[in-house]
Amino acid sequence: MAMHRWNRAARPALWITLMGAGAAAAFASVDRAAPQAPAVSTPLRWRLNTPAALIVPESKALPAAVADKFGARARSVEARAQLRAYEGAPPVIPHATVDMNVQTCRACHAQGLTAGDKVARMASHTYLQNCTQCHVEADGLASLAAPGDPPKPINTFVGFRAGGHGGTRAWTGAPPVMPHTTFMRTNCISCHGEFGYDGWRPDHLSRSNCVQCHAPAAEFDQLAPTFGKADLPDGLSVPLP
Amino acid sequence: MTSSLMTVDQLLTVDRRSFVKTAAMAAATAMASRDARGYALPLLEQAPSSLAWNKAPCRFCGTGCHVMVGTENGRVVAIQGDQKAEVNKGLLCVKGYHVGLAMYGKDRLTTPMLRRNGAMVPISWDEAIETIAARIAANPQGFSFYGSGQWTIPEGYAANKFVKAGLGTNLIDANPRLCMSSAVTGFLSTFGVDEPPGVYDDLDQCDVAIMWGTNMAEMHPVLFSRLVDRRARGEKVTIIDMTTRRTRTSELADHVLYFQPHGDLAIANGIAHLIIKLNGVDSDFVKRHCNFRQLGAAVDANTAPDMLGVPMTFEEFAKAVEPYTPEKVEELSGVPAEKIRLLGELFARRDLRINSLWCMGFNQHTRGTAINCIVHGIHLLSGHFGKPGDAATSLTGQPSACGTAREVGTLCHLLPGGLAVANPEHRAHAEDHWNLAAGSISAKIGYHAIEMFKRFNTPTDQGGDVTTIWVQVTNPGHTLPNLERNFLRKKDLADKFLIVSDVYPTATTSLADLILPSAMWVEKNGMYGNSERRTQQWFKMVEPPGEARDDAWQTIAVSKALFDRGAGMKDKDGTWIFHTQGRDEQAIPIWDWAHYYDINVDERLFDEYRQFSRHKHKDLAPYAEYVKSRGLRWPVVQQPDGAWRETRWRFSGFDDPYVDKGKDFQFYHSVTKDDKALVWFRPHEHPPERPDAEYPFWLCTGRVLEHWHSGTMTRRIPQLHRAMPKAYVELHRDDAAAIGVLSGDMVTVASRRGAVDLAAWIGGRGDPQKGHVFVPFFDETQFINMVTLDAYDPYSKQPDYKKCAVSVRRKV
Repeated sequence: MAMHRWNRAARPALWITLMGAGAAAAFASVDRAAPQAPAVSTPLRWRLNTPAALIVPESKALPAAVADKFGARARSVEARAQLRAYEGAPPVIPHATVDMNVQTCRACHAQGLTAGDKVARMASHTYLQNCTQCHVEADGLASLAAPGDPPKPINTFVGFRAGGHGGTRAWTGAPPVMPHTTFMRTNCISCHGEFGYDGWRPDHLSRSNCVQCHAPAAEFDQLAPTFGKADLPDGLSVPLP
Repeated sequence: MTSSLMTVDQLLTVDRRSFVKTAAMAAATAMASRDARGYALPLLEQAPSSLAWNKAPCRFCGTGCHVMVGTENGRVVAIQGDQKAEVNKGLLCVKGYHVGLAMYGKDRLTTPMLRRNGAMVPISWDEAIETIAARIAANPQGFSFYGSGQWTIPEGYAANKFVKAGLGTNLIDANPRLCMSSAVTGFLSTFGVDEPPGVYDDLDQCDVAIMWGTNMAEMHPVLFSRLVDRRARGEKVTIIDMTTRRTRTSELADHVLYFQPHGDLAIANGIAHLIIKLNGVDSDFVKRHCNFRQLGAAVDANTAPDMLGVPMTFEEFAKAVEPYTPEKVEELSGVPAEKIRLLGELFARRDLRINSLWCMGFNQHTRGTAINCIVHGIHLLSGHFGKPGDAATSLTGQPSACGTAREVGTLCHLLPGGLAVANPEHRAHAEDHWNLAAGSISAKIGYHAIEMFKRFNTPTDQGGDVTTIWVQVTNPGHTLPNLERNFLRKKDLADKFLIVSDVYPTATTSLADLILPSAMWVEKNGMYGNSERRTQQWFKMVEPPGEARDDAWQTIAVSKALFDRGAGMKDKDGTWIFHTQGRDEQAIPIWDWAHYYDINVDERLFDEYRQFSRHKHKDLAPYAEYVKSRGLRWPVVQQPDGAWRETRWRFSGFDDPYVDKGKDFQFYHSVTKDDKALVWFRPHEHPPERPDAEYPFWLCTGRVLEHWHSGTMTRRIPQLHRAMPKAYVELHRDDAAAIGVLSGDMVTVASRRGAVDLAAWIGGRGDPQKGHVFVPFFDETQFINMVTLDAYDPYSKQPDYKKCAVSVRRKV
């Protein structure tokens, strides 16, 4: 649960190389019809500790993501939910993939990067080797699409949604507890770091041991006796009356 | 925790009626446990939701992952991998993460429907039950039950008892016949008793894993991850992928060996040849624990030799495999001789632990029994057996192919607990457990799946003596091979009657005369048994939609209607075979849906069924033990302190309580009755149909990660459907160039039996060898089973969906 590999010596160089090579084209948009925002209009991405010369703010005004932290947080909750059947489901892949080679995922998602307005988030469970076991294309077989294809299914499932509120605090100023499960989400910077979500980045990214101050809420811990909010025989966890 | 000391029955009888809703029962349970602790549990100040979590095994494949099911306001709203489950340790695959969505397709069947003048009209449950009872009572010998490895254990037990005790026939079979039966005949021929000696723990401990024609990365992804994730921990595991096409499994394999269809028989014999040549025979193990075996002479041209064969000596065995030199095997299989040597050298090394794994590639094979036997044989010969990591393990495709079809014995030749219809002693055991008069269980083996449907699709006056089939939890109209012959002809046969219990409209319901809407997965109580002998349990968590009801209830209700008509369904004292009473000795009317959940019918059926499990040392624990666990692997044997202990390595003295004290190994169900396993010689043979000038390509059918079997559930899940919306045909790029097609172009794949149009995919999910094509079978808009061959293994009666000859042309 530590912010491991927070070594960014090589990062700006990589980012520039990829951008220079026009890597943005490799990122298929979720909504293919949506116009691509020009790369230059993306103001400031958080790249703390990067050489100052590489950060060129357009004005002295705070970036939108900082000025409207709560709005950004709500938009991030929504963006995140768009790719998931329910909170906790593995997100679908919003771009085309090389269908067979799972190792290609790592090219972008091992460290994370941005390209234009697209962000490849850093994987939060890199110890798992078979990425495509859980993550599938949002729009697979698009290259084989034909007019007579089977219709999209109609399903009435309504998934559990995260509330979007932050973690609870014991008092104003106390470090909040983590408001979500940490199983397979042990790499905090996947979502809270540079290539994470607007509104979710802390103002103290330089600290590297997150769990020193932020405890995971036990109610999300399956191995904790309060999981499911009742202490019941193993295998039978249901809410209190 | 107090409740762990109470049996489930006690918990439930606190207030019998309260079991109508799980929540109500949970309330009672929660009170009990709170009382015991003497304090209320603290709730976090800001609880994010009223989500409740319960354990259940996944609805899909035979891996047997446990999921945590999140419910809110009577609906499933979230799924998590269950971190307490040993099988998956918190991880799932994409199907498992979306399993909760499988219940919420918009077109769920919610009312019984009867075909009248060609149209399906809604009818009442009472009328539906009476219609079935009248049909069966009129001709019990013409009635067949057809189920699947998706029957829960209690559902399968109820159906089996319905047919074998209630009607006195053996006219029941299930789709594991299309899926697992060659693995069964392999285990029976080798060890004298079904199911793998090894377990999934072998994946954690092997040095070498051999994929014998299985694409584990897509078909059993959680188990594949259990293997490959070891590499991230710095462990070394060598993966050898033996395959006819490049797959996602090949991507993570150290060696990929492409072979030609039936080349597996040659490769395995080649390994036996090299084990002997390289002094790799574990002579001590072989001398003490193995006999050698081969088939005897064929009885006549139409009758295969007896499955249990005739003895041979080690010297004769060595002579039989002598011709399978690496060079000869290369010629027969297409795998380079040096790769065959590599395999032989691995098996000859005693310091490595080798885990062989297979699934449909071996089982859907006209020599399926043979290839299963040979691979068990090379493990025994080289001593790679019965130590953690050393195992030959078949994987299953359905959540309870093992638990229900194989263990409960919902097949035409089996009785519960692995007992055989053909064995008079076994029939006597069953009559005893079921309180039936001696001789009431028929000695006549019923019809296996293909035979059942062939007869159903043959006019009654021309030998088609199966006139009524009741299908539960499966979709034969999609999954049988050669559909025109084995399913569609029924359409024109007026006196045939097809009853289908299902949750969605399917290819099978399209020809049904009566459709019954069923509850599924966590809409009912259930139990499954996975590939590693693990029996699992779950409770009902949400109500089924509309008038959908449990399959077991449907069976029990028809049984009662037959009993009331005087048409069987009674024991030797005249009592109804599903008679159930409460602790007050009052009969509970479980045939009446309003009272079905007055008690836990699953628990009653299971605790009756588990008495059968002792005969073959497949001991099951009481129901209550499974409530507490994430499954237990049989034999589960009670210890002196009262605890129930599961068994991981069967036949191994260090773990299996049925091995005599002091012995390292004991095959206590040995065919030869001397505690020894059989090492079989079976020759390489060619498949019954091979490519020729007219049909020049090999066709292999199979599965994809996103869809489960005929896709009736997964194609209704948006995330899965959008990822894999339709079937396709994979072509080698040279073949594609030769016939002038690019990815996305439509081609016609045709065999002697039928044809289907598909989009070509070149360099896609998989990459077949030149001269081969691959088509996934999940898509009900493009039935590849119009094309497949229905030739089957002579012993397992399992058809071969993996190889037949086809032509591939640009669609005109």
